Amino acid sequence: MSAQQVKGPVNAAMMAGVAALVIGGGLALASLMSNGHAAFNTGSSGITWGLPVVGYVFFVLTSTGLTFVASLAMVFGIKEFYPVAKRCIWLALVTLIAGFTCLALELGHPFRMLWAIPTSFQYLSPLNWMGLFYAAYMVLLLLKFQKINGGDWNSSGSRMLGIASFASVVVAHGTLGGVFGAMAMRPMWYGPIIPLYFLLTAAVSGAAFAVLITYLTYGNESFMPAKVKNLMTGAMPKVFAAALGIVILAVVSRTIIGLWSNADGLQVWDHVVASPWYWIELILMIAAFVMLAKGGAPFFPSIMVIVSLFIGRYEFLISGQAVPLFKGSWVTGLIDYVPSMTEWMIILLAVGIVLAGWAFGEKSLNLAAEPAEK
Amino acid sequence: MARWGMVIDLDKCTGCQACSTACQMENNRLPGENYQDVLYYTEGKQPTPVLKWFPRPCMHCEEPSCMHVCPTKATFKTEDGVVLIDWNKCIGCKYCMIACPYGVRFYTDEKPLVEPDIKSVFPGEGDLSWNPPYKGPQQDNAHGVGIQPHGVVSKCTFCYHKISKAPKGIADLSNDDAANREYVPACVRTCAPTARYFGDLDNPNSNVSRLISDKRGVRLLDHTGNKPQVYYLSGGAGPAVPSGRGGANKA
Repeated sequence: MSAQQVKGPVNAAMMAGVAALVIGGGLALASLMSNGHAAFNTGSSGITWGLPVVGYVFFVLTSTGLTFVASLAMVFGIKEFYPVAKRCIWLALVTLIAGFTCLALELGHPFRMLWAIPTSFQYLSPLNWMGLFYAAYMVLLLLKFQKINGGDWNSSGSRMLGIASFASVVVAHGTLGGVFGAMAMRPMWYGPIIPLYFLLTAAVSGAAFAVLITYLTYGNESFMPAKVKNLMTGAMPKVFAAALGIVILAVVSRTIIGLWSNADGLQVWDHVVASPWYWIELILMIAAFVMLAKGGAPFFPSIMVIVSLFIGRYEFLISGQAVPLFKGSWVTGLIDYVPSMTEWMIILLAVGIVLAGWAFGEKSLNLAAEPAEK
Repeated sequence: MARWGMVIDLDKCTGCQACSTACQMENNRLPGENYQDVLYYTEGKQPTPVLKWFPRPCMHCEEPSCMHVCPTKATFKTEDGVVLIDWNKCIGCKYCMIACPYGVRFYTDEKPLVEPDIKSVFPGEGDLSWNPPYKGPQQDNAHGVGIQPHGVVSKCTFCYHKISKAPKGIADLSNDDAANREYVPACVRTCAPTARYFGDLDNPNSNVSRLISDKRGVRLLDHTGNKPQVYYLSGGAGPAVPSGRGGANKA
């Protein structure tokens, strides 16, 4: 699609993205450079992994989900999804970079990581494998995008890259799930089903972003090419709704098990369901599911689901650490945590990367391209 | 090679915090960053709440989950069974703090728990997080000993700068042994009621081994599989090993 055909607020997104980049990045970096990580509201007697890690998980799992959506066409041959495949691949790259940015700003020594992880290779650490597979995924995604940007959609090399990037992200997200699921000492996270839970929520996140960005690109359905419109009113809402329905069941199931069990650490679930944010998360998901099931346009459901998933990621990350581990009278109840302004600025920076990155792609990289009809 | 371990007799511990203070002085720790802490907590509810206390160093586990999750192998176990951090390799990802079931790891760059911020009163030079007027052990970043640099995690070292200099083959490091008193960890050395014992867990004739065997030593959260090398003795008369991790217990 040429720049002239863009009807949606791509220019506005570019400006908003650059503004968010400059404001979020500038304030976050200034604060970090003057105060270090004391600018965060995290602590050894408090929450260890704070909002930047929530942002990391949110954005990299969105990247995972976007690759799933693109793979429906490029790996599984469901041709209806070709009109959004290139856009999804580009957005997967952009959201991955946004996620990595959040993580890098959370680490004590991000540059030391570059040599210390590969040279040490602690094979027992899920974090080691997560880094390895997400790095491989990023390289494969870049190569795949380069191929399709050059018009090579279906050569054996291009197909292999598509399959490899799909496989790498399945494993990468699985190891990210393992980072949390392996933690027996954090019962809210613990369990072999967590990687699967991440898979489901990643798929929904990817579908929501694919819908949102497609609508933002074209403005509304009347400006969409026929194939895009068919996808957005046909297969996409169905896939979106199916995945969302399973996620709702998973959230309800985790809540009931968490509330029922007496395992030390799960008492945090009482606190979770007492929070209005939990009910906002659940109601947004259910309402979005009902709207999709009734055949409505997926635009508003996509926004509702993105907000809901962000709340869900926050709830998962923070509540999983909220029961203190042997802190005595230093922490007498559940750990209180409110993210600092610096932490929010890192999220704003990541949002800026996504908006500006997407708008750049839309304006310069012909993201509406699809393979020529045979 | 010894496998160092500690025994803490809860019936003798008076909760005086001398161990915590000695550790703070020895290792230049700040409030809230206590390698060794005596935790106070309440069990039960009104009208019968009971104030209890629980001395808690790093457990220096046989199977340390903190070491297994460390992506750079910065956390490692020495041949003599001590879990240490190589500050030159730590990337500050804090996964070890997430994975430690006992909450005994500390990140440097945080808001102070107690005002004024001592670190800003004595600002550090170079990479070090602060510059205390009195410095304890020799700086040894490769073993996580000394003043904590920025951006890394720290933990109890069993006073590695002391115990690593003890004569080889010694069964126990005790205040009763005047010749080797210098090598006793600070918390053990200062414990007035002698509630703490330190020695070689692999030596069946060591005092710590006999105490664990004779008085049925127990380990904290044994079900996690970390297998602490810190054992607790409790005859039931005094404070017991806590039933939970503290904080809000399920109603």
